[in-house]
Amino acid sequence: MTLQDLILKLSAFWASHGCLLQQPLDLEVGAGTSHPETLFRVLGPKPWSVAYVQPSRRPDDGRFGQNPNRVFKHHQYQVILKPSPDEVQQLYLESLEACGINPRQHDIRFEEDNWESPTLGAWGIGWQVLLDGMEITQFTYFQQVGGIDLAPISCEITYGLERIAMFLQRVDNIFDLEWGGGVTYGEVRLQEEIEQSKYAFGQVDMPAEEFAALHRELFDKYYGFAGTLLASGLIWPALEHCLKCSHLFNILDSSGSIGVTERTAYILRVRQLAVKIAHAYVEATVPAAVSEG
Amino acid sequence: MDRELLIEIGCEEIPASWLPGLTAQLAAHLDARLAAARLTSDRPAESYSTPRRLTARVAKLAERQADHEELVTGPPVSAAFKPDGAPTPAAEGFAKKYGVEVSALERTNTPKGTYLAYRVRQRGKATVDVLADVMGGLLRDLTFPKQMRWDAYLEDGKGDLVFARPIRWLILLYGGRVVPFVIRRTELAQGPLVQDVRSGPNTYGHRFLTTSGRAGRAIKVKTFDDYESRLLENFVILNRSERESKIRRELETHARKLGGRVSPSTSLRAGPSTSLRAGGVIAEQALLLQEVPDLVEYPSVVAGHFPVEFLRLPEEVLTTTMIHHQHYFPVVDDEGNLKPAFLAVTNTQGEKPEVIARNSERVLTARLRDARFFWDEDRKATLESRIERLSTILFHKKLGSYREKAERVAALAAWIAREAFHKPDAAADAERAGRLSKADLATDMVRELTELQGTMGGIYAREEGQPETVWKAIYHHYLPIGVEAHAPPSRQQLGAAAVTWAAVSLADKLDSVAGMFAAGERPTGSRDPLGLRRQAQGAVKILADLPELTGVTARIELWSLVAQAAKPWDLSAEPQQAARTFIRERVLYLFEQRGFDARNIRAAVPPSLDRVDMVEARKKLEALAQMSGSEALRGVATLFKRVKNITKDVPAQAAVASGALKASLKEPAEMTLLSELESRAPGIRRASERGEYREAFAAIAALQPAVATFFDDVLVMADDEKLRTARLALVATLRDLILDIADISEIVTEA
Repeated sequence: MTLQDLILKLSAFWASHGCLLQQPLDLEVGAGTSHPETLFRVLGPKPWSVAYVQPSRRPDDGRFGQNPNRVFKHHQYQVILKPSPDEVQQLYLESLEACGINPRQHDIRFEEDNWESPTLGAWGIGWQVLLDGMEITQFTYFQQVGGIDLAPISCEITYGLERIAMFLQRVDNIFDLEWGGGVTYGEVRLQEEIEQSKYAFGQVDMPAEEFAALHRELFDKYYGFAGTLLASGLIWPALEHCLKCSHLFNILDSSGSIGVTERTAYILRVRQLAVKIAHAYVEATVPAAVSEG
Repeated sequence: MDRELLIEIGCEEIPASWLPGLTAQLAAHLDARLAAARLTSDRPAESYSTPRRLTARVAKLAERQADHEELVTGPPVSAAFKPDGAPTPAAEGFAKKYGVEVSALERTNTPKGTYLAYRVRQRGKATVDVLADVMGGLLRDLTFPKQMRWDAYLEDGKGDLVFARPIRWLILLYGGRVVPFVIRRTELAQGPLVQDVRSGPNTYGHRFLTTSGRAGRAIKVKTFDDYESRLLENFVILNRSERESKIRRELETHARKLGGRVSPSTSLRAGPSTSLRAGGVIAEQALLLQEVPDLVEYPSVVAGHFPVEFLRLPEEVLTTTMIHHQHYFPVVDDEGNLKPAFLAVTNTQGEKPEVIARNSERVLTARLRDARFFWDEDRKATLESRIERLSTILFHKKLGSYREKAERVAALAAWIAREAFHKPDAAADAERAGRLSKADLATDMVRELTELQGTMGGIYAREEGQPETVWKAIYHHYLPIGVEAHAPPSRQQLGAAAVTWAAVSLADKLDSVAGMFAAGERPTGSRDPLGLRRQAQGAVKILADLPELTGVTARIELWSLVAQAAKPWDLSAEPQQAARTFIRERVLYLFEQRGFDARNIRAAVPPSLDRVDMVEARKKLEALAQMSGSEALRGVATLFKRVKNITKDVPAQAAVASGALKASLKEPAEMTLLSELESRAPGIRRASERGEYREAFAAIAALQPAVATFFDDVLVMADDEKLRTARLALVATLRDLILDIADISEIVTEA
């Protein structure tokens, strides 16, 4: 099964179970959780079920295309079910069967793995799902986002698409995956990986201090403007600028541009902004919302 | 008639590490709830668990509650009647509460006077009618390391029902019949896909396996035996110990087929290994074996291989990757060397075990390939060159980065070697090991395999040619942690590095403890997020066994080390007092864990940490344990409290009473005590200085007849001031002689 077939199978499966098929957030983010289709929709009482692919950037995981398992950018298949149905684990297992994984022939396990995002003021309880010893999915019952207790509880299912495709195609190197129609993952992405890794680690024709200063400045500008957007009641654009800050922070971190005390301060700043945005979203969308935390 | 109670809480996968605790909680809370509900059973509740269920059973539970009779006290009679004899509003209110006339109330005499009272008589209700309350209470009683909300509540007015993971079904059977009980779902969540959980007679088998029909269908049960056997038919082994023995059996069979072995017990029998981590690997395998039965409902083992080229990676990297990251058991040959193979415990009776094996091999190989990449990359830079990077890794927000911590540890380790251990030759290496001790936190390998912190630093130090005294000190410096779980390295493993290891390990731990107390971080109750108890425990443990571990025989006052560690922060009085109390508790706990009598521990560990020397305290305890049969010593001990009381205003005596005082003594009993003291004191002091406490205590015991006769015959508080002073001085001399060794009055106190 090719990578694109896998996406089609998962989309067909979750669409048939009532999920809206959304598109990726067209911004640089580290995970599908940052997409407003997750971050906003899990807030408040309104039921919402949605599925989408999210290209996810982890500057720190960049390996210049040399590591067979680790990349600057990978793809997550993100499913949000709100409220979380009683049969959610069974549904998930059926989705694997739809992709050609027969649970009776494998060892599939739900092992404790809780999720927490300090920058988003968010955490949840859940598992990593192991397929014959390989982590293929993160399964989380969200408890809080933006410091706000959630009710009802949403379930987030995050499939690691490359991992599952490598399993199905029995390849040991991510760049050997067949993306679709005989084209490999390497053909599609290798050059991008090399260049993005160089950027992430600051290998740019620019002195390191200037590189750091530029990114700090960008961070501060986006941060300041996110505040202006929020004050103008423009919550979605404010979130996007907050996410830009989060990504810039990741680049500052991976390129070794910030020290330890500063690092904590940056995380705190992003978190404070995310918390404000989440509260603003709840106040704007939930009638008579009482803000918490 | 007594009938069986069967409860099963069907859950989504509960974290493995919680199950042993939850299983115990379940039985204990159920027993307590049944007792509180006045329901009697023939024996305590049994409890079981798998990742997807918590089960409890009471074989014979009474059909009715015991009848209840209680005398409820009302207002005092003095306030119950007006002067004319008519009841006051207080009396009427009390009577009304129970629906009776004041005249129907009884009177009861209490130490506080006579009160009006009402006798409540309650006929016991049928058990089926109270079990719902028991169930609700039980669900509320269970506590979890981390709890979750899942849009559920109980109709007990207490709101949300938090739990470990969502509850999906519930069996509540009494005498084979369902007792109605419901867990409600909140209005926001409820709908066609989110339903109340109602008690029923149905359980569910293994997620994927079944002998007939489709996996996941409901299985109706009536009794526990029925339940257990139907589960087994459906690939769920309810009994944990049966799961564990199936795992052990299959591990051994597969290991033998691979021409090796896996069982920790077999490895232990193989005798002392030269492997640096032999003890560590065995302990980790044992922990894994403790964990896997709680990860599976129907275990079976598959064997896999990895390419032999990976055997050139350090053994520590291989075993950590297998054990910690994949939950796989390494396989070793007869010499204890790793084979390029592993055993995985799966939760299935796979149709195709070879497929699972191949897939597991691919996962492990990918991880090992990563590890090899780190191993090759990390060795391109020295540890020294990584210290700079440590300034970007935070140790604690008030205590700075790991770079600063490493600098403190280096200075403290050198000081300990030189000043405390009197090993100036080891100071330079201790300092270097301390400086490099945290450098591996900046390596790729440790960022990926955090369990290998310290270990990896040691290996990299060895690879770059640091002497044994340095690299082994780094390698082992996190050990020991806590009391017995992670034992210190053996003398054999430490080799030439024993002294430097002890210096660095102590420096690291004491720096953390002193620093955290200075920063206002303290363990409270069960909360100890920074693991300070284990750190302090590790430190006092090293000190208690210092001669055996390192050959260092210097006498060391415990607080002098902590005080040195605290120097960078200028510990003020309050945190200093807190740190003293905290460390003293760790000392007491260590000795208690070693099985010493609590009274002896109080005797041997002085209240002030300044005077605590761990080795001497340990030797005193060993001597007191040997002397436990000595009636004479107990005799002195019994009188010693009197000795202390009577002399509490008398300052410490420099020597046995001066000539002038001596001249005042005349009674035979006091003359005997004086001469006994004069003749025995030098011997007692010498024995104590040599650490021969058994001899010292024996000599103290030998004073018993003289001391006893003295207190029988002599009035210490004589009217004659000169005589009184002389006698008090004599008693104080005895006091100081003994107190210098131990406060033996403690050994005869009530435990």
